Amino acid sequence: MNDLDQLKQLLFGAEKQALDQIADRVERREVRTADVAEVLSEAIDRSYREDAELVESLTQPVGDCLQRAFRDDPQTYGDALYPVMGPAIRKSIMHALRNFTQQINEAVEHSVSPQGLKWRWQASRAGIPFGEYVLQKTMRYRVEQAYLISRENGLLVGHVHHEASRIKDSDAVSAMFTAIQDFVKESFSPDRTGRLESADMGDFTLWAVHGPHALLVCVIRGVPPKRLRADLSAVLERIHFRYGEAIREYRGDTSTVPDVEVELERCLRFEAREESEKDRRLVPIWMIVLTVLLLAAAAFLGIRSWTHAQQLKTLDAALNAAPGIHVTDIELDGGDFTVRGLRDPLAASVNDLAASVDIPIERVAAKMQPFQSLQPEIIAARAGQLFDKPDTVQIDVVGTTLVVNGTAPLAWKEQLLAGFRALAGVDTIDLSGFTDAPDPAAMTVPKPDEAQLLRDRLETLDGRRFLFDEAVRLSASSMSALEQHAIALRQLQADADQVDLSLVVTLAGATDGVGDIAANARLAQRRAAAALEVLTAAGVTAGVAGRPAALGSENGPLQDPSQRYVQIDLQLQAPPATR
Amino acid sequence: MTQLTSKVCVVGDFAVGKTSVAERFVTNHFSAKYLSTVGVKIDTKEIEQPAFDMTHKLVIWDVAGSDRFGDREFAYLRGASGYIYVADGTRPLTIEAVETIQSQIGEKFGAAPSVLLVNKRDLVAEWEISDERFESISASFDGAFRTSAKTGDDVDAAFERLAHLIVENELRGK
Repeated sequence: MNDLDQLKQLLFGAEKQALDQIADRVERREVRTADVAEVLSEAIDRSYREDAELVESLTQPVGDCLQRAFRDDPQTYGDALYPVMGPAIRKSIMHALRNFTQQINEAVEHSVSPQGLKWRWQASRAGIPFGEYVLQKTMRYRVEQAYLISRENGLLVGHVHHEASRIKDSDAVSAMFTAIQDFVKESFSPDRTGRLESADMGDFTLWAVHGPHALLVCVIRGVPPKRLRADLSAVLERIHFRYGEAIREYRGDTSTVPDVEVELERCLRFEAREESEKDRRLVPIWMIVLTVLLLAAAAFLGIRSWTHAQQLKTLDAALNAAPGIHVTDIELDGGDFTVRGLRDPLAASVNDLAASVDIPIERVAAKMQPFQSLQPEIIAARAGQLFDKPDTVQIDVVGTTLVVNGTAPLAWKEQLLAGFRALAGVDTIDLSGFTDAPDPAAMTVPKPDEAQLLRDRLETLDGRRFLFDEAVRLSASSMSALEQHAIALRQLQADADQVDLSLVVTLAGATDGVGDIAANARLAQRRAAAALEVLTAAGVTAGVAGRPAALGSENGPLQDPSQRYVQIDLQLQAPPATR
Repeated sequence: MTQLTSKVCVVGDFAVGKTSVAERFVTNHFSAKYLSTVGVKIDTKEIEQPAFDMTHKLVIWDVAGSDRFGDREFAYLRGASGYIYVADGTRPLTIEAVETIQSQIGEKFGAAPSVLLVNKRDLVAEWEISDERFESISASFDGAFRTSAKTGDDVDAAFERLAHLIVENELRGK
């Protein structure tokens, strides 16, 4: 150390040491950080209080920080905000739903009443939705709009309104109200302390609540209760508590009063009108009587209709259960039934079946078409009719087998065996339950010869008559019987040939007593010819009688359907007379 | 874009055309029929202020005409952000009324942006305000215009000038 250094040390030693320490603090980052941290909170606080630049400076970076933080870790911030967001969302939804439900309820309640129809007409004239109109008519009061107005300059600080309210220029309204307020104060209050607190106009009432810096003006529809003013005052006090200074300095920049509308929303109250005793009174007596009569008429018609439906169901079941009947349609018209379908002539009649289920036959009209049923019961009945079943025999049909039980003469059995295949729906015959009847004559007299047997069979087939239902058309049952008869005749002719006998078949037509004799004679001939066609088709050799067997002249001029027939007569001859 | 709402008062002597200039500015319409304003008439108009990236709504208080204001008129002027002074170019006395009113307002509420409209410029034959007089009176205001509510000349310009001054003033105040 030279003299100069020693002199410096003596003169500036302490200062140099201090400078070195300062340089050391500036150069060491951790020390600088500690120094800034020490004064940071105090510096922010002071800067914030002294001017607004800090807020402006921090707005952008803080916003960016929050945005990034939310993006990077939404779960954490979501959890943190949940206690705040949940109630806010619930409240908002409940508010909206309450209004919506209220309107729906009122609208539905009044939609069909006479008053509702009147209101609907009035609502259409006023050009507002029906639900809204009903709400207006049924509410006690509703705060439709709330204006928060600066007392200093009349500028609008905030404004909220009900969704359905008609809103003019809210700034102009605010200014005009302030002007009116000033006018009233200057004109009618000598000491200028008076103030306008309410005004009525048509359906609306304006209430003004005065605060130190702001005026809360509410537009109310209906008649508000006094307690509402206290509620509105509480809202205004709360607004002053939160925004008092900002409102005092308000110069038209709404950003200085953020979210003031949220506070103002509290003013939009609603209260429904309570029903009066008159409204709540019971339904008028005439309405009760009318209702009872209508109910009685409805019950009568209902029971009648139900009874008819039941009868229809019962008749349908009875007809469908009866063999030989196929129902396609039953029409019910005022308690009368018209039955359409198919019916085998051997089946029970529709009227009998209706009577069996207690339906008066005069209420049943049958429009049935004839057909040949293959139901077992009908086939059995047809066999019984065709083969002239004795009472000692029971005929049934099982599948396609004709089951014959009981006792009968051998000749009957032979006739059955010869002709059963002609029955539609039958292939085989079961005679296991059938026994030949003992023939007393056979025990005492010799067995008749073949010719005698033929004569016996002839007797059972001779003289059969077949009815016509129109001029030359056989009825369905007669046609069926004639076809069966033809088969039996063909067999008999064949058997006669075996014993050198000739079976002569002669057809003779007959007519009823209507018409002249010549015409009836021609008709009888045509009937005989029609039946002859059937026999010829079945292989039977037959001829038509020279003259009709019966003519109208014999029965007098009466219409007798039983006389419209053809009769087939048989005769055995030793030498063949006609072949 | 920010939003600002400002209260603007239109003042002046009787029948100088205050309501007409306000109506011309707000609705671009003129009615030759004279209706005396009782108390105050209020209109609003929104204008764009691209220089400030701002939508500016003017709430215009058209105050009943008077050559000298009393308490009632002052009540209407309270809190105004700017003033439109209107005089009649065919009646020199209305210029004096404007000076009186300006003085009263200055004493009562202090300085605020203001523009002068010497109206009825379309009545050329009856015009009685010399250029010297116009220049001398203009110095007392932040802007002065010879306007015609009937033709619309310079009415919008006058209001827009005032609106611009108001925004500048508000921003300075911040």
